[in-house]
Amino acid sequence: MSNKEKYDNVFIECFGVTSDVLNEKFIYQCVPTWDSVGHMGMIAALEDAFGIMMETDDIIDFGSYTIGIEKLRKYGVDVLA
Amino acid sequence: METFSLDCIELQNYQPNRYPFLMIDHVDAVCPGKFARGYKHLTLNEWYFPIHFPGAPNMPGALQLEALAQMLTVAITTLPGLKGMVTHALQHTVRFRKEVLPGKTFVIETEVISWKRGICKGKGIGFTDGEVACEADMLITIPEILEQYLPKKNS
Repeated sequence: MSNKEKYDNVFIECFGVTSDVLNEKFIYQCVPTWDSVGHMGMIAALEDAFGIMMETDDIIDFGSYTIGIEKLRKYGVDVLA
Repeated sequence: METFSLDCIELQNYQPNRYPFLMIDHVDAVCPGKFARGYKHLTLNEWYFPIHFPGAPNMPGALQLEALAQMLTVAITTLPGLKGMVTHALQHTVRFRKEVLPGKTFVIETEVISWKRGICKGKGIGFTDGEVACEADMLITIPEILEQYLPKKNS
């Protein structure tokens, strides 16, 4: 499974959405499931999926699907590779 | 981490609920971040027995669940730096198995499954007479901590 597939699957499973909505418009609180608890669940799922531990500032900045792709680069995860 | 007990006075340093909503009398053993167990003695003087129900008093299921959640809270608020913090419920799934009657001791056992970034996932079981009365999977939060990790809205 590619990093992109892993990344998308976390969003699909955590927020109950389909892959066609995963773009720059998919931001924090854009769907009811991406609330405060959903955010923590998504971060934990990404940490499990990629074997990383994210820093507090990156968790706070992780405000959208596309920002998340940038944040993961810091941890050696290239989602778009 | 060390295990210790809390009497009814010490307990109030870690559990912000008060009469008539404090559903714990004593914490027999708490291991911060791991587990907490204790009990509530139920006399006919409990405020809810005369009204739930007249002639057939039993502890409301919602309050049984509240007792489990309060004990799970103690397992978290006894962690360093969290003393006295307020917790909120996020999601509970509960199964009731028998009536909890006046004159009994409601034994409460809770276990922390995970505690991370202000969210605690745990489970709890309530007993009377050595039999399971209710059991629950619980998700609670300390909002003051959780909010430290959230994106700014519409960022």
